[in-house]
Amino acid sequence: MKFTGWKILGLGLLLPLAAWAANPALAGRWRLDPKRSTALDGWTAWDLVVALDGSQVSLRHDMQWRATKRSATNTVDTARPAEVQDFFRVEQRHMAIYGIRGATTPVRAEWIDGGRTLRVEAAMPVEVSQGNTTMRITQELRLVEGDGELQLIELHSTRVKPLVYRFTKITEGK
Amino acid sequence: MHRLLFALVALSLLLRGLHAAETPAPRSAWVMQFDSDWLVAKGLPEKVLLVSLQGLANRSSPRLYVVHPKDFQWEITEPLFEFYQRKHGVAFAEVKTADAALALFAAHAKGYVIWEPAVSASMNVAFTIAGLEDAVVVTAEQVALVEKHGLKKIDDLRGRYTGQTDALIYRDAVARYWARCTHDAIMIMGGHVGAVRMPAMADWGVRQKMFFHDLSANPIHAEEVALEKKLFSELAPLGTVFGWHSYGKDTEEQHTTLLSSFGLRMEGLHNLPNLSFNCQFTFTPGFKFENNHHVARTAKLTAEQKVYLSFVQSDSIGIGVWTKPGRGKLPFGWQVTMNWTKFSPAALEYFHESATKNDYFIGGLSGPGYLYPNHIPADKFGPLMAEARKLMATLDEHVLEIMDNSAADGNVGNADLTKETVDRYYAAFPDVIGFINGYGPARTRDLRDTRPMISYDYYIDPRRPREEVAADLNELIALNAKRPYFLLVHVRESNDVNSLVEITKQLDGPVEIVPVDVFLKLAASNQTYTTRYQDPADPKHFKGF
Repeated sequence: MKFTGWKILGLGLLLPLAAWAANPALAGRWRLDPKRSTALDGWTAWDLVVALDGSQVSLRHDMQWRATKRSATNTVDTARPAEVQDFFRVEQRHMAIYGIRGATTPVRAEWIDGGRTLRVEAAMPVEVSQGNTTMRITQELRLVEGDGELQLIELHSTRVKPLVYRFTKITEGK
Repeated sequence: MHRLLFALVALSLLLRGLHAAETPAPRSAWVMQFDSDWLVAKGLPEKVLLVSLQGLANRSSPRLYVVHPKDFQWEITEPLFEFYQRKHGVAFAEVKTADAALALFAAHAKGYVIWEPAVSASMNVAFTIAGLEDAVVVTAEQVALVEKHGLKKIDDLRGRYTGQTDALIYRDAVARYWARCTHDAIMIMGGHVGAVRMPAMADWGVRQKMFFHDLSANPIHAEEVALEKKLFSELAPLGTVFGWHSYGKDTEEQHTTLLSSFGLRMEGLHNLPNLSFNCQFTFTPGFKFENNHHVARTAKLTAEQKVYLSFVQSDSIGIGVWTKPGRGKLPFGWQVTMNWTKFSPAALEYFHESATKNDYFIGGLSGPGYLYPNHIPADKFGPLMAEARKLMATLDEHVLEIMDNSAADGNVGNADLTKETVDRYYAAFPDVIGFINGYGPARTRDLRDTRPMISYDYYIDPRRPREEVAADLNELIALNAKRPYFLLVHVRESNDVNSLVEITKQLDGPVEIVPVDVFLKLAASNQTYTTRYQDPADPKHFKGF
């Protein structure tokens, strides 16, 4: 046995550090491939624009519904939990589920799978017809081998069926 | 033996007499089968000619009816054609060509007016002239055809408007023709633009001598908006705007907001056919609307600890789901365009006659026509709703559906009612079981005395995969965890009921599908929903004029 206790401790410290490292391959503009994704409802196009800044990850959603365009950004931090005001959820817009204006959403994020997946967990306050409640959302943004495609798998505490969105990386400006 | 024979003859005469009292006298009419070609460069000119001729031919008597293909947006033309034969004793003879139609009906025209397909608005100006001067509307290529039938040129719009904006064209048309047109109604002949246009409602405007236009209600077209405001301001109080907005200029929300702000109501669409024919039939003798009420107006029900779900379709009953497979398998609320009592009674009678016990009719949309109540002037609201009450009484309807998409973005976004609007409805409709609101989902909810107001919690897009629809509904059921939960669902026009049956089998928990009158009675018994109105801070897609 060649490993000493110090070596094991050192490896133990290095592994989490490697897992926390942001993956630059995730940065950039990703465009939804609707044919290979769960059907959007109330949106006709979706670009996900990812920017990395240290432990912070900016997730900007450039959405379109017919001629209407909307852009919203969630900034998460893989080093510490965050409180995100007006957390943006790509909702099914034909459902009476509304984000509560001005409300903050506790959000945790971490790099997993050797830095190839960003996991985001949010407990989002929402308004429904019976009043306010919370929807727990888990998102995993998984880089597909080759780094040209991205899968976003979203689970809700209130939905048995996952939402699976597939994106293709595009050159900025397209 | 003689006494028996006499008795039989007497009975026979009595029965014939009774039969004669119930069956309208037979009459003759003609029918044309239209195809689906509305291309400006191909099939449109002939259809423009024919619908203008139809409007003139049907002025004094219902002579010409048009049956459209099964994939036409208004799917009822064929069932109604059959209804006229069966219930009104109409014996139709088919007319196969425009030439044959002119041979039959050119005598009802005094001449023709030439429009210019390259100048889109010239078609509408020509329709206006057609109504006023008893002219058929033709292109240059059709002149020989109509002259063969003895028609003379009344006007020629070629060149008159070349290179002009629509604002200039319609300003000229207003100056020339508006004073002579009816001021009880106006025709927005918009809808499809570009390579395809579909003015199937023009027969009605020609018959009634309406002013035709497709002026924009989009604030970026300031000149057109100003001219349309002038026209609306000069319409008779509570007048009707027929047709539909131009898909190329503005939105349904903008146009309906504008006309509602003048206390007017909309009757669409631009391709609703045969009103010039339909308006001349009354209900058959002895017919009385008897809705399939499932609960008495004064009844009290108590909700159990379960989910109550109710389906409603509101895209005007003549479109879509009614003729789709499976109707009758689920309780369904159908919003009836109340004004058809005046313009198309036979169509309403047809729907009532063919209704199953699961089909329940409700009044709409927002009043006697399609309008956005948040924008109705206070002094116009009362008279409009008095008319709606009267029509609902005729149609035996106990539920009113409201829709205000003035702040919405199509079928998403803000579809809520202000508290002031809600107050007005509660005051105006003391006898309804309740109100429903929205098109897409909305969050206006209330309960006063026994009358709830419930908004749609879900809108079924016909293109949404059925398994996702089931997942969406189950998610709403999970998020609205209190029981009873009242889940009101709007079914978009082109869904079919069979697919909804399959969805209901996938729902979680104790779920009961109930008719909308029962739904509202149950919702009155236990308010598990919040009271809410439009919040002034809620986003508005269209800010108004």
